Amino acid sequence: MSNATNRFFGELSQHGCERLLKKTSGTIRFDLEHENGIEYWLLSISNANVEVSRDKRDADTVIRTDTAFFERMIRGEAKPLTAWLRNDITSDGEFRFVVLLERLFPPPVGARHPRVASEHWRQR
Amino acid sequence: MKGDQVRILDGNIFVLSDSSGDIEASPSSPAGYFSFDTRFLSLWRLSVNGERLHPLAIDDERFYEVRFFLVPGAPTQYLDAKVSVIRERAIEASFEERLTVLNHDSEPTELTVRVEADSDFAPLHALRQPRQPVGRLYTRVEDGFLRLGYVREKFRRETLISSTEPAQVDQDGLTYHIRVGPHDNWSTTLRVHGLVLRPDRTDVRDHLTRRRTRTKLQLQQDLDRWLAMAPRLTCDWEPLTTTYQRSLGDLAALRHSTLALPDDPLPAAGLPWDATITGRGSIFTSLQALPVAPELAAGTLRTLALSQGTELDDFRDEEPGKILREFRYGEATAFEEKPQSPYYGGADTTPLFVILLDEYERWTGDIARVRELEDEARAALRWIDEYGDIMGDGYVWYRRRNEQTGVENQCWKESWNAISFRDGRLPAPLRATCELQGYAYDAKLRGARLAREFWNDAAYAERLEREATELKTRFNRDFWVEDGEYYALALDGDGNQVDALTSNMGHLLWSGILEPSRAKKVAEHLVGPRLFSGWGVRTLAKGEGRYNPLGHQIGTVWPFDNSFIAWGLRRYGFTDEAAMIAEGILDAAEYFQGRLPEAFAGYDREQTRHPVEYPTASSPQAWSTGAPFLLLRAMLGLEPYGDDLIVVPEVPGRFGRTELLDIPGRWGRVDAVGNVTVDVGNSQ
Repeated sequence: MSNATNRFFGELSQHGCERLLKKTSGTIRFDLEHENGIEYWLLSISNANVEVSRDKRDADTVIRTDTAFFERMIRGEAKPLTAWLRNDITSDGEFRFVVLLERLFPPPVGARHPRVASEHWRQR
Repeated sequence: MKGDQVRILDGNIFVLSDSSGDIEASPSSPAGYFSFDTRFLSLWRLSVNGERLHPLAIDDERFYEVRFFLVPGAPTQYLDAKVSVIRERAIEASFEERLTVLNHDSEPTELTVRVEADSDFAPLHALRQPRQPVGRLYTRVEDGFLRLGYVREKFRRETLISSTEPAQVDQDGLTYHIRVGPHDNWSTTLRVHGLVLRPDRTDVRDHLTRRRTRTKLQLQQDLDRWLAMAPRLTCDWEPLTTTYQRSLGDLAALRHSTLALPDDPLPAAGLPWDATITGRGSIFTSLQALPVAPELAAGTLRTLALSQGTELDDFRDEEPGKILREFRYGEATAFEEKPQSPYYGGADTTPLFVILLDEYERWTGDIARVRELEDEARAALRWIDEYGDIMGDGYVWYRRRNEQTGVENQCWKESWNAISFRDGRLPAPLRATCELQGYAYDAKLRGARLAREFWNDAAYAERLEREATELKTRFNRDFWVEDGEYYALALDGDGNQVDALTSNMGHLLWSGILEPSRAKKVAEHLVGPRLFSGWGVRTLAKGEGRYNPLGHQIGTVWPFDNSFIAWGLRRYGFTDEAAMIAEGILDAAEYFQGRLPEAFAGYDREQTRHPVEYPTASSPQAWSTGAPFLLLRAMLGLEPYGDDLIVVPEVPGRFGRTELLDIPGRWGRVDAVGNVTVDVGNSQ
């Protein structure tokens, strides 16, 4: 199991996720494939609080991918929804949690606030 | 569609063919079987004994099914045809076609029936250009099936064709060698499945908890129920009832169910090409349709809230709190050649979201929805100040960060040349159009009402009201064009007034940001000879540098635009002017059998005597479909007030008695009867 993945879920379990809405509740299981098999991570979200466990329990939505691609999402290099369109991740269950995944992963690297971008253009 | 194209559809699944039912796609003819923003059939050609078939008649009364009555050979042979073919086609989650071959002779006959099939799996946006696929196309003949496929990395689409009667299947199609007895017939049903496959070769949609598929019977029952639930219109002027009925039927067809919230349909922007989740089109149409179908607003609000922006993303022009512009499922989106996953490049959608939420509650009293969407509405209001206000001066601005594939003008007039100075010059790309300020003002005031009444936050309400008042003062100072006595189209990044005379300022009326003392001048301009064509208000006034009666958004008349202008005029008490616009647009609708096009040419009515349609791809276009509902609202003076619906009719004299019965809302059902009339002096 990878350190990056451990850190990502550890962070979620300790600090939650501020971009989740108060009303968000449900369970998402990540099935991450690697050379030696599959590791399972279960997020139980209750009113935006996140609990993390390694249970292979039923969930509202199950997301499946390999650890290498999962780490790209952790680094903000790939967006979950386009990844789903390309089949880099697949889902079983409720699609609304696929849409909500964006809130769990970091934003793209180097994205600019419109004001910052506007300053940049003025100086150009 | 144009010419002899025939189509059927259910949501974002549709079939476009020629009048014999054949599909022969080319860059100049975007025919096909489409689903999930992908073409699954680009060739579908029927022949009998090697001869093509020709239509005698087409029955396409319902939007999800069609029947073609065909005979083989050239038109001269029609009269004594010994064989004819009925081709019955429907969308029932997949594309289904029943072929019936009839022998009219007293002798038995042996025939070869062939269906040729192929697919290029082109993404929806790339149909008009010749295209080299990035991935690999393949064809497989399987036991009784023909499988066409496309694969690119893990992305896979397949078309699976099967038949109820045994067929001889080859790489290019299916063949039947049949014998039909005297005065007998033969038939088979072909099923074409468009599959959106995962690497394990199962369809992604089969893995969703709640997937919405509907049979033909369910579609019919649903349509009947929808029409029965809608208010009934009676009017002395027959064409208005025709337009109303047509628009209701079209609105039913436009309802689009998403994968995430299949039970909350929202209006798609247009059919067939814009059968997708959009921000602007869905919000405007839901607002227009509140008097007839308030539940559409609920679907729109929920769906857009779910996809609200949560982070900064330059490629998608996304910011936290922003409401999307468009979502697509196709290959170009998947591989990030296009940003619609979703794309957020619109500066109007976010304040409009708050406006719709408030207006929806006023009509329905659905407090639960207002509480459910509190966080999203607050995030939208925050977006206005934090991300919309790029210059930090209290206005809403736009400038795309995605300079390759993003949208240049992020207001409803998206055309590259729509925002110009009087002399035709284009401003630098950082722009603040006037109607955006109106929407922001309205959103703040409506947000304040929601905060006070439902979110238990009086302090926030006061802050929003204070900001709205300041915005109004600032706006009336900076946007008023002194020498022309109207409001500037926009400000540019240097604070200059972009001073073309346009329809945009018509939206300031329904937003309420206009200084009442100046409203009379604005109303005069809107129905004056430079802006008003006789049918409606032009997007850009005659005499301006870029004016062109056939220019997409620089001179054409847009029914949607006009419906909001008429509503605003009514709000400010300009009854005659509102009636004049309503009458002009509804008059025009008669020329299109009740289905208003997205736009028509800005020629003077006296000059052409006929509204000249501006060619656009989709029809119906949702916000044109919605226009008659909002015009009716404006003419009948429908306004929710507490738990009542106020009705203050001012109907053009020519329409006579106009009654809208059983208007649904928090009041139960209410009738609006308009027999008070105004003479608009517009009958030419």
